[in-house]
Amino acid sequence: MAKAFKYGIKGITGYLEPAERDLLRSLFDDVVSMLEPEERADQDPLAALVGLDAEAREPEDRALRRLLPSVSKTDAAASLEFRRYTERSLRESKIGALKAASLGLDKDELVLTPADARHWSTALNDVRLVLAERLDIRDDEDAGHVHLMQDWSQAEDVESYLALVYNFTTWLQESLVQAMLQSLDTRR
Amino acid sequence: MTLSVALGPDTQESTQTGTGTSTEVLSAPDIPWNLVIWNDPVNLMSYVSYVFRTYFGYSEAKSNKLMLEVHKKGRSIVAHGSKEQVEQHAVAMHGYGLWATVEKATGGGPASGKGKGKRG
Repeated sequence: MAKAFKYGIKGITGYLEPAERDLLRSLFDDVVSMLEPEERADQDPLAALVGLDAEAREPEDRALRRLLPSVSKTDAAASLEFRRYTERSLRESKIGALKAASLGLDKDELVLTPADARHWSTALNDVRLVLAERLDIRDDEDAGHVHLMQDWSQAEDVESYLALVYNFTTWLQESLVQAMLQSLDTRR
Repeated sequence: MTLSVALGPDTQESTQTGTGTSTEVLSAPDIPWNLVIWNDPVNLMSYVSYVFRTYFGYSEAKSNKLMLEVHKKGRSIVAHGSKEQVEQHAVAMHGYGLWATVEKATGGGPASGKGKGKRG
C-alpha cells in the first residue's frame, strides 16, 4: 500500500507500490494525450512557435473544457480571443507538469523537491478533474457518493473502478498538499 | 469586503533606473477588473488555500477565508487589477486547475452583449 506523503528532514517523501506507480503513470499519460494539441499541416509554424493558435476554440469535451476553461462567463468573443493567445502555452505547461511527475515514478521511494511537489500537485489535480467529469461529479453530493467507494473488492464495473481510482488520487493529493503546507509553515 | 490590490509574484515592482520617474501611475479606481474563482466539487480545500498562499502571497488566514467563501458562496473575487493583470492571474489559476474567470468590477449583471457563450 502507498504511504501518505509527509514533510521531514529529507523534504517531501512518499512511497508507492509498483502497481500504484503503473496506475499513476497511465493516468498522467492519458491526460497528456488529451492535452496534446493536434498538429495541422496548414499551421503557421511561426505562430505555433510563439504560442499563437488562431484555430483554437472552446473544447467540446467536458473534461478538456474543465482543464482549459473560458476566461469570461459572459463574453464568448473575448474568451475565444484570449484562448487563441494563451491556450497553447497552458496546454504545454500542464503537459510539462504531467510528464515531470510521470518521470519521477521510476522508484518506490519518492523524494520530492519543491518543484517536483508543485508538478505532482497540479498533475494529480488535472487527473482528478478528468476523472470527476467521467464520473459525472457535478456537486458536493455526487462527490460524497463517490467517496463512499473505498473497497477494491467491490470494483465490478468501469464506474466503480474509476471511483476507486478517483478516491486514491484524492487521498494522495490531499496528503501531498498537507506536506506542502507544512513545508511553508516550517520555512517561515 | 475590501481587498488590497493583489499583485502576483511575477509582477514585482520594477527597480528604478537612474533618472527615471514614472510617467504613468494607475490609481485604484482606474483598474476595474476582478478575478473570480468558482466553486467546484473536485478541488481540495487545502489545495485552493495553498494556491492562494503561494501564488498571491496571501496570509494563511486570508487564503482560508477566500477559500471558504468560494466553497460556501460558490464564487469569490480573489484579486483585482487591470484587465491584463487579472487575465494573467486567470491563466495562472487555470494552470493550477482552478476555475477562474475575469469580469468588470462594476457589479451587477452582465451588460447586454452579443455572442453569449453556450453553457454546458
